[in-house]
Amino acid sequence: MNTRRPSALPTPKHVCVIGLGNVLMGDDGFGSLAVEKFRCEYECGSNVEILDLGTPGLDLAPYLYGTDVVIIADAVHAHKEEKPGTLCIYCEADLLTQRAQLRLTAHDPGLQESLAQLKLVGHAPFELIIVGVVPESCAFGTGISPTVLSSSSAAVDNIARLLRERAIECRRRHAPVQPNLWWSSGDRRLSSAMLRSLQTAAAQQEHSL
Amino acid sequence: MARISIDPITRIEGHLRIDVEIDGGSVQKAWASSTMWRGIETILRGRDAREGWVFAQRFCGVCTTVHAIASVRAVEDALQLEIPANAQYIRNLILIAHALHDHIVHFYHLSALDWVDITTIPKADPARAASIADGISSWPGNSHRELEAVQQKVKGLIASGQLGIFSHGYWGHPAMRLSPEMNLILFAHYLQALEFQRKSNQVVGILGGKTPHIQNLAVGGVMNAINLNSLATFNMDRLGTLQSLLQDLIPFVQQAYFLDACLLAASYPEWFRYGRGVANYLAVPDLPLDAKATQFDLPGGVIMNGNIGSVRPIQNWRDEAIRATVAEDVTHAWYQGVGPQQPWKGKTDPYYTGFGDDGKYTWVKAPRYEGAPMQVGPLANILVGYASGHALTRKWMDAALNRISSVNGTKVTPDYLQSTMGRYLARAVRSAMLSDLALKHWQLLSDNILKGDDTTYNPPQFPSHECAGVGMHEAPRGTLSHWVVIDKGTFSNYQAVVPTTWNASPRDEKGIPGPYESSLLANPVADPSKPLEVLRTVHSFDPCMACACHTLDASGRKIAQVKIL
Repeated sequence: MNTRRPSALPTPKHVCVIGLGNVLMGDDGFGSLAVEKFRCEYECGSNVEILDLGTPGLDLAPYLYGTDVVIIADAVHAHKEEKPGTLCIYCEADLLTQRAQLRLTAHDPGLQESLAQLKLVGHAPFELIIVGVVPESCAFGTGISPTVLSSSSAAVDNIARLLRERAIECRRRHAPVQPNLWWSSGDRRLSSAMLRSLQTAAAQQEHSL
Repeated sequence: MARISIDPITRIEGHLRIDVEIDGGSVQKAWASSTMWRGIETILRGRDAREGWVFAQRFCGVCTTVHAIASVRAVEDALQLEIPANAQYIRNLILIAHALHDHIVHFYHLSALDWVDITTIPKADPARAASIADGISSWPGNSHRELEAVQQKVKGLIASGQLGIFSHGYWGHPAMRLSPEMNLILFAHYLQALEFQRKSNQVVGILGGKTPHIQNLAVGGVMNAINLNSLATFNMDRLGTLQSLLQDLIPFVQQAYFLDACLLAASYPEWFRYGRGVANYLAVPDLPLDAKATQFDLPGGVIMNGNIGSVRPIQNWRDEAIRATVAEDVTHAWYQGVGPQQPWKGKTDPYYTGFGDDGKYTWVKAPRYEGAPMQVGPLANILVGYASGHALTRKWMDAALNRISSVNGTKVTPDYLQSTMGRYLARAVRSAMLSDLALKHWQLLSDNILKGDDTTYNPPQFPSHECAGVGMHEAPRGTLSHWVVIDKGTFSNYQAVVPTTWNASPRDEKGIPGPYESSLLANPVADPSKPLEVLRTVHSFDPCMACACHTLDASGRKIAQVKIL
């Protein structure tokens, strides 16, 4: 697709970077992985929301409502047989002509339906871009495959590039944060992020008593 | 005799296949089959019990919140851990907002187009539509100008020749009987509902820290820090924002959605005669009012054999009958095992055989209560409330029945609700009732905080011996229960018995069908190649298959197919 935006358009006010997919289903968790990595490696202006939305079906509509630019990261079926890990960038027209097909997950993401509804009420995103990756395996409970994991850095850098091309503030962090991929660890003990928040809650409680 | 197979049946949530045999214009036999394997529980085994809810809320992308709540409640039950009153109120507000969101989306976006033929809207007279709407409701979204604008949009859509997502409807079907004006009013509300879907979502977001995956839960309470003097925590500002969101949302529920459902029922009264199905109803108590969860705002109970004058109350979540007699049967499901299994001892070992009419034909297990199939959902919730003399249920149910009776000129009794249309109406009655309760629980939370109580969390202590618990929640689609066994702080077993498992249940060892299957018997089908009437009855349950079963491998995208076999 041609993702270069005509320069005459005004700077987008409300931007969303959205991850779609189910983290419990292998490479279907690519969208969640990509937005978490993006959040850790880049800093954006306050007009950019970064959201891991899972597989919301028609519940996607409230998040797209009234946005100017939306970038969606998701596992995709490419229009021709592409190798797993291949990065594909599509515009909305590709989706509507079925050139790009999102995976049928536990819930079909409901993207087309949400967009059609929002168009009717006049609150659809002005521009929608999909940064997709071809999955290797979406089996249950297996975590992200090494192939897709290694494509995720390129996906994240492309999200940043697409934002910058649209005059949306997005800088690489000087000190990247460690991504919290809580679902992908084979370790079944309590994750450190969870432990921290429990300790904070307990400390707060003690303080208030 | 014609046999048809519809796969997948839902507009968005796929993986449900319905097979029916039709003779003489009505359904003689039905099979509900889930085409995905259920194995979600295996992922929880061996995990820290404090963290189970984080995974559980990823079971399904639409019902995230309900699984998170059921999971923490299950662990709290196993530990017999009380949670502070503030935590109950905050959880209750989240659950109410989530349910309102879910019911609104079901009525307008997932099922209205089974009844509303949008292709007739260009023929409507907007002035007449506005005057009809005025006579029904004071809802401000019914103005002549608003309805005219919606009509223009629909005209544009049809003229473009690209109906897009609306191209799959059974337009012009003889079972579509609303006037163009009524179709216009309902479709205008379909579009307006998008705005209110957002508002209920914002309520969940403010309280849960994030949506769709809330972050404020903990085994033992919630992690919302309450400090009225601090900007960074839960304070008067946020309470004010919550109140104004609820005050915006409630008029839509009570003046648009509730009345639309009454109007739909009054326009299609024959659908009170179809779809009764399994007339055993189960609802668990919810919206607890105290730390120990002894008092509830939604009553629970069991009604058997359609006898809605008699209810066996379920007073609280420790109810022995439900804990001891719920069991899952796999005679007709693709699992190994013989005889019904109690969920704490439940196993999930797949055994696929292909579709056998008299053998195994689905990935959904058959849950039974005292050996009987049960219907769960808003209808069960409302009938149990009505039979228990619950004041709010009676207020809204009587309002609905009176309105429909006065439009139709015949008396509509509570018994009519045991039907396809009854399930639509019950969901609207429940929503109107939950709207009242939203403000009540907002007030309870505010009062308790102003009293100086800022506790939200009791840290859990795990014993060194094994313990078991069940977390119950009356979710938008009905009774949800998570059954856990915990050994030294980690799960040794985890089974979720979800609403759609009850309703989409296959036959059991005695050959008794589940609610979907039996509700379809005698359902009319005018044209087997356009089985709109079958969709109406199945959609009345609000099917959501993602957690009733789960996929091993999904490859490719299927467009819904109707196969005449």
